[in-house]
Amino acid sequence: MTRLRRAGLAPEPGPHAVAAAGSGGLRLVALNDEARALGLRPGELLGRVRARVGVPLRIHPSEPAEEFAALLRLCRWASRYTPTVAPFGPAEGCHGLYLDIDGAAHLLGGEEALLDDLSRRLAGSGIPARIALASTPGCAFALARHGRMDGILVPPGEEAGALAGLPVEALRLESGAAEGLRRLGLRTVGDVEALPRSGLGRRFGLAPLLRLDQAHGRRPEPLAPLEESEGFAAARGFIDPIGHQSDVVAAARSLMGEIAPRLERTGLGASALRLTLHRVDGLDRSFDLGLSRPERCAERIAALVRLCLERLGSGLDAGFGFETVTLAVTTAEAMPARQSTFGGSESGDRIATLADILAQRIGRKLVRLAPQGSHQPEQAEASVPWTLPALPYPDHLPARPLVLFARAEAAQDVLAMAPDGPPHRFRWRKEEHRVARAEGPERIAAEWWHRPSQPRDYYRIECEAGLRLWLYRDGPHQSDRPAAWFVHGMFP
Amino acid sequence: MRKTPERTAQETQLRIANLRALVSAGEPAPRAVLPLGLPAIEGHLPGGGLVLGPPHEIAPEEPGDGTAALAFALALVACRLAAGAGEAMIASAEGQPLPYGHGLSSLGLDPGRVLLMEAGGDGEVFRAFEAALHARCLSALVGLVGEGLPLKTSRRLQLAAEGAEPPLVLVLRPAGPGSPNGAATRWSVASAPGAIDRFGTLRAPRWRARLERCRNGRGGSWLLEWDSAAHRLRLPERVARDAVAAGRAGP
Repeated sequence: MTRLRRAGLAPEPGPHAVAAAGSGGLRLVALNDEARALGLRPGELLGRVRARVGVPLRIHPSEPAEEFAALLRLCRWASRYTPTVAPFGPAEGCHGLYLDIDGAAHLLGGEEALLDDLSRRLAGSGIPARIALASTPGCAFALARHGRMDGILVPPGEEAGALAGLPVEALRLESGAAEGLRRLGLRTVGDVEALPRSGLGRRFGLAPLLRLDQAHGRRPEPLAPLEESEGFAAARGFIDPIGHQSDVVAAARSLMGEIAPRLERTGLGASALRLTLHRVDGLDRSFDLGLSRPERCAERIAALVRLCLERLGSGLDAGFGFETVTLAVTTAEAMPARQSTFGGSESGDRIATLADILAQRIGRKLVRLAPQGSHQPEQAEASVPWTLPALPYPDHLPARPLVLFARAEAAQDVLAMAPDGPPHRFRWRKEEHRVARAEGPERIAAEWWHRPSQPRDYYRIECEAGLRLWLYRDGPHQSDRPAAWFVHGMFP
Repeated sequence: MRKTPERTAQETQLRIANLRALVSAGEPAPRAVLPLGLPAIEGHLPGGGLVLGPPHEIAPEEPGDGTAALAFALALVACRLAAGAGEAMIASAEGQPLPYGHGLSSLGLDPGRVLLMEAGGDGEVFRAFEAALHARCLSALVGLVGEGLPLKTSRRLQLAAEGAEPPLVLVLRPAGPGSPNGAATRWSVASAPGAIDRFGTLRAPRWRARLERCRNGRGGSWLLEWDSAAHRLRLPERVARDAVAAGRAGP
């Protein structure tokens, strides 16, 4: 439900539910608050629910893959607390995660503080959650899912007391086994614990014993932590802190040399990198490097780092030196293998290098001009990144000015022959211009499907001084009011 | 024994060749130039064309001739690009006009071979030039600057251009006296009435280009006509096809 809400897939108010195929047909698996208020519970048959509930219920199909992906996202987020994060497996119902905060709690000021922080952040993101902390994963799971309250903290050694009152389902048994225990009148974990182990094992197999032992900490239960994502980052620590620019560049080069094979294995190239320098006194400096095309050449990255540091000059305050240098790929893109000998454009590569240098040193991008599908002169062209292929310009157009004004400039006191004669004389930029020669009109119709406007009649004129201009009359000639004239560009 | 006349001539030839080698040993190797295809102008330029590498300065004669100066520079770029592969970069300081792609196309310069960079100021334009000269990936650089080419910058650019296959470097500055600098040539361009065909329509743009300063060369002034199809500059024909225009185009 939360996933749907966060993805904006269930925007309407009212009861919503997620249904999945179960035994006997579609069964509800998740509900929102309104649906819960109607008395619905997860596990009910959808058909029966529909018959029972009078109000329309919005049903969303269950998407296990999406749900697992959402859980993984949550796990990645939770790795801010500890590196050991394990999502719930099928035994736990796949809707939760374990955090092994052994040795990590003090970073947030203790276990209570960590629990507080975790629940506050989850609530802030609108994720309903129940949290429990115990010495074993089994105990923590039992308390989080079946405990009486949220945020229970079980001190080590008191698992038995905490578990005793919980229902047998808290033991993460298969549904048949839990049912069987209940049928024998064993309703709580404490009841099961009190039984002789040998009899229990003969009757129900080893699973309940194993789960009991795991929950009580008598048998270890290793978590299967989320595997580290194939991160493209490398760090290097220095016993003697470094401060020289050339040392930093050399460190970046060797770090990129470490990352490059990993990138190459996955067929990726770095298109954005972040270099972080950790100073001895705890200050971090980060630099973002952008590349115009994916790259994994250590030399080029080193050259960019050098440029970046050069641009900074003395702004790079090394203090007592940097003890750790980290280089991380922040954006990776597919980098198809290129063959450089035949047909490869070496000049393209060199221009890419130049573009990166310009972006790094001056902070400006290289662009190229591309024709656009419009007849309006001001919209017939756009600047696009230079990496896009050059498009051919149409060659059937009449001559176009070399400089097109972003905004057409009004011409005053225009003397022109009605109805569609070229101007003879006009005033523009505070100067009187006399037209020696004129060509036109070239009528460019307005794009009425975008917004209503007048067609323009363009004239290419040459003034007596040799100035060649592109003038247009806005709209056709009308007898009741003077025409508006504009200068739109200059010819060579 | 008397020397035969042929032998004497041979010896003289050899001596002259030796002397030539002796004289040219002290001089640097001749630099690559962009030939303009106009003997009348090439005679004024050292090496028979615009030397590649050092910057050339182009300024409009009057403030209103900015587009003519830009067009003249782009015509030179078109000459350069027509000679071989490669791309040109136009770096424009803030406030300077960027060319219109369809207009470039009309001028005969393929916009697909032109890269643009909008810079914040003159300093950025020159730094971009330096980077491009070091990168050796472009065949022409055009900078549209607001002030002009300072002496120190021109030296830096000249140093950066040392090496094989330097690009054509053009710096466009606004009209005005300009500052002394190390530019190889300094041109001043004014628009002139264009060439018209017999139907009275504009056929080709014409500019009056004045070579104000030229290192190791002579100044001069020419009326030039740009042939956008053939990518070459022409001196207008002296046939009195358009007597009125010819009269106006005079000094």
